Amino acid sequence: MSYAYLFKYIIIGDTGVGKSCLLLQFTDKRFQPVHDLTIGVEFGARMITIDNKPIKLQIWDTAGQESFRSITRSYYRGAAGALLVYDITRRETFNHLASWLEDARQHANANMTIMLIGNKCDLAHRRAVSTEEGEQFAKEHGLIFMEASAKTAQNVEEAFIKTAATIYKKIQDGVFDVSNESYGIKVGYGGIPGTSGGRDGATSQAGGCCS
Amino acid sequence: MKKMDLVSGYKGVVGLVFGNENSASSEDSYVERLLDRISNGVLAEDRRSAMTELQAVVAESNAAQLAFGAMGFPVIMGVLKDERDDVEMVRGALETLVSALTSLDHVKGPKNEVQPALMNTDLLSREAESISLLLSLLSEDDFYVRYYTLQILTALLTNSPNRLQEAILTIPRGITRLMDMLMDREVIRNEALLLLTYLTREAEEIQKIVVFEGAFEKIFSIIKEEGGSEGGVVVQDCLELLNNLLRSNSSNQILLRETMGFDPLISILKLRGSAYSFTQQKTINVLSVLETINLLMRGGSEADPGRDANKLTNKTVLVQKKVLDYLLTLGVESQWAPVAVRCAALRCIGDLIASHPKNLDAVSSKVLGEEPQVEPALNSILRIILRTSSMQEFIAADHVFKSFCEKNLDGQTMLASTLIPQPQSMSHDPLEEDVNMSFGSMLLHILTLGESDGDLEACCRAASVLSHILKDNMHCKERVVQIELVAPMPSLGVAEPLLHRMVRYLALASSMKNKDGKSGTAGFVQLVILKLLVTWLADCPTAVHCFLDSRPHLTYLLELVSNPSVTVCTRGLAAVLLGECVLYNKDGDSGKDAFTIVDSLSQKVGLTSYFLKFDEMQKSFLFSSVKSTQSHKPLTRSNAASMAEIEDVDENDLSDQKNEDHPILSSMFDAHFVSFIKSLEADIRENIVDVYSHPKSEVAVVPAELEQKSGEGDKEYVKRLKAFVEKQCSEIQKLVGRNATLAEDLAKTGGSGSIQVEHRASGASERVQAETLRRDLQEASQRLEMLKAENTKIQSESSVYQNLAAKMESDLKSLSDAYNNLEQTNFHLEKEVKALKSGGSSVSPDIEAIKAEAREEAQKESEVELNDLLVCLGQEQSKVEKLSSRLLELGEDVDKLLEGVGDDIGLPEDDEGEED
Repeated sequence: MSYAYLFKYIIIGDTGVGKSCLLLQFTDKRFQPVHDLTIGVEFGARMITIDNKPIKLQIWDTAGQESFRSITRSYYRGAAGALLVYDITRRETFNHLASWLEDARQHANANMTIMLIGNKCDLAHRRAVSTEEGEQFAKEHGLIFMEASAKTAQNVEEAFIKTAATIYKKIQDGVFDVSNESYGIKVGYGGIPGTSGGRDGATSQAGGCCS
Repeated sequence: MKKMDLVSGYKGVVGLVFGNENSASSEDSYVERLLDRISNGVLAEDRRSAMTELQAVVAESNAAQLAFGAMGFPVIMGVLKDERDDVEMVRGALETLVSALTSLDHVKGPKNEVQPALMNTDLLSREAESISLLLSLLSEDDFYVRYYTLQILTALLTNSPNRLQEAILTIPRGITRLMDMLMDREVIRNEALLLLTYLTREAEEIQKIVVFEGAFEKIFSIIKEEGGSEGGVVVQDCLELLNNLLRSNSSNQILLRETMGFDPLISILKLRGSAYSFTQQKTINVLSVLETINLLMRGGSEADPGRDANKLTNKTVLVQKKVLDYLLTLGVESQWAPVAVRCAALRCIGDLIASHPKNLDAVSSKVLGEEPQVEPALNSILRIILRTSSMQEFIAADHVFKSFCEKNLDGQTMLASTLIPQPQSMSHDPLEEDVNMSFGSMLLHILTLGESDGDLEACCRAASVLSHILKDNMHCKERVVQIELVAPMPSLGVAEPLLHRMVRYLALASSMKNKDGKSGTAGFVQLVILKLLVTWLADCPTAVHCFLDSRPHLTYLLELVSNPSVTVCTRGLAAVLLGECVLYNKDGDSGKDAFTIVDSLSQKVGLTSYFLKFDEMQKSFLFSSVKSTQSHKPLTRSNAASMAEIEDVDENDLSDQKNEDHPILSSMFDAHFVSFIKSLEADIRENIVDVYSHPKSEVAVVPAELEQKSGEGDKEYVKRLKAFVEKQCSEIQKLVGRNATLAEDLAKTGGSGSIQVEHRASGASERVQAETLRRDLQEASQRLEMLKAENTKIQSESSVYQNLAAKMESDLKSLSDAYNNLEQTNFHLEKEVKALKSGGSSVSPDIEAIKAEAREEAQKESEVELNDLLVCLGQEQSKVEKLSSRLLELGEDVDKLLEGVGDDIGLPEDDEGEED
């Protein structure tokens, strides 16, 4: 259970873009083709390793529906990272990114690291948003960008870890006052450098989260 | 609706409270003046003193509270909004609000009177804007501002929780602000704890946000700071908040498990130095932690698809973190701890191990005590069952064994393997701290005590444990059937099977009841033993055989089934037991085979009334009130004290209660047992009917044997046939006898409950006969139906023709009328013509011509009409002819009908008179 740092993440984006599935793939390494609509917010956790340091990720998967916006906004401020997800086969989910970003900028702390994810890249034949467009949007707004697939697990691991690595680098650069927990970062008590990736989170909670 | 009434209601109420317009209006005007000074005053000093005065008057008088509610909010909110810099004004305004929302206890009015404080909270909480204003005040530097604000929010939450919960969710960072208060000065922190407790009650989204904001870390750090279980009411508040966050919320449960782990929670259960003293506060604290563990074991909400997995993981992790050790210490070893704590700990142990193989192993390998005086934990728990004076504690400890034996064949076998009678154990009391005594010897010893000491209650507790060990475990059942007990006095000789002893206790319990008149204890003793026997005999022919080995058993059971002085459930379970004797009877011995039992059952009890026992039991309180999960009352500040003092109040009023309400019964008749009985019942019904409808034939009819054998003399042949006929005769007599019994049975129940008709017609011959009769009846009724249908058809036809005839009549009548009219007109015209002819020729030469013309025309017209009429008449005539013949066929008197018609033509006015 010991970790060097704990990062809080949120996953945001339109309903049906695959937020819950991304989380399930990341924590449980499985894909659920039919997933219940998320009500409010669901929690998941996993341990990863960055720079040989065990880092605990606490991830809050939010409901994409408009009616839950006021609830999900409560989670912005205390998060260190956000995965902003759209569906490459549905153009409108890409078009809504600006309003999601605006929400995040308004309610989150300024140093929150945002990763833009174009999900469902396994469905290339139904693609409605090109990779270049995604890259362009990310560049314009200073986001990290990746296309991923919760179904094939392509880039899922990478997306979560790259976000963590960015946050980690910001800590090293002294961007955060890590003693202030409102940034979504907590310093662990027993972080033992050198332990290879702890996976306790994923194994002991099989099926428990993300449901 | 209510909204509109409220404000106008105030004025009315003000008058109502005092019944005096003048004094009411004086309060009103005083408050109004003060408010006016606050909002329009120029001198800061004057405004402040007005605020102080206002606060004072609102804090003291109901009328002022009402007046303030009607007028004051806009003014006060204005101060809070626009005068943030004037700390004194803001403080005053907040303090006034606190007063306006606080009920005045010393004013004792009639109960139904409007509570001004309640109305004021209602008014204030309506405005989402005012709540966001209040939340923003929490960031102020001034201590009192934050303190009063928290008090106001708490008052609002107490009275209108839902509205405030919704409002706070819509305010960005609203909860964050409240969470920050947990890190504030002690007074504020404690106030914030209470507020969060109210806020998180049954509000899942708020619970999650609070946890997101780091609630778990904060709660556990406060608990630690305050001294853990030894701490005061603040620890209790922390635990109540914790429980609110975890109740039915799997997301938060996972987060706690995956992030902080259960260690900080479990460590609160660790008793420290002064463990022997349990203050009431400590009792409540420990009970709250046990409640937390309970919530973790119950997992998320019903709708959560991952609920079972989450529950299982929680249980696994709890046991990994050594919770069993602490629970055993609390529940078993700490005999000085309050009963409520011991019971809750035992129940937790039971729930932890239920259907969890790993945890079952963990508990069965636990030992308690210090070397060399160690004994298995299960033995210690059994000791509690046998020895405790508290019914609650017995139920809790019994729950451990029930959970231990549930789907745990190995565990049951392990316990049963120690059931070895030890004659020498009679000489001393094994309940002395003899840790070397095996589980089985202890149990058997108590089971045998019933007779010598008359301690049936201890016996029945042991019987309850035994029934768990035997449940669904064939191996154990057969093993325990073999156990024979040495007679209490060696001189009496024969060893007695344990099963027979149990039946004897059953009988003993009813005689005990007869003696002392109060049925409470005896009633439940009987039920527990019956439950043991029902569990034992289920699916176990060996046990059935053993049970029937003693003839009086059957007789006793038959009596018990129809004994009106025992409870419905006792009769019902006795009936189930009887049914098992039939269902699981593999005996070939004619004295106690299934057929014999069913036979005596139908003779002594009657099949119908026997089956009725099942229905009665199903309808009884115990069966109908079974819930799959017991509803838990959450521990809150208001009920904690009473929960901690359950001691044994229940037992005191035990004698007042009916048997059915005995606390143990509801735990005994759990959902498992009830559904087991229900499925058994269906099998029993089917089986008994089956057995009864196939009587064993004594005479085998083999056609070949009826023939004269070669070499057999006529005389011998006749003799043989005669013997055969005699045998058949006697069998027929028997069947007639059975038939009579059935008929009697049928008559007794008076045909009530048609559902059982099928069960009653049990004898094969009766069945056949009934079948034929039914078919006959069906046929007859079918024929009847057909005849009826024909009849109605004919009737409707005849009415159709009658109608036709009537129509015809009226047609004829109108025709004749028309004809009469025409003739009349004609007559008139002719008369006119005549008159004109005679008197008018001189008038004008033209008239003659006109007259002729007119006449010609009229004649032509009447001719045409006459022709038409004639055609019509011809048609009608043929119709009438046709109808007449048809009516004749139908048996109508045509002549009579037509007679009337003929008259009609002549006398049109009379037609009504002729008709019948």
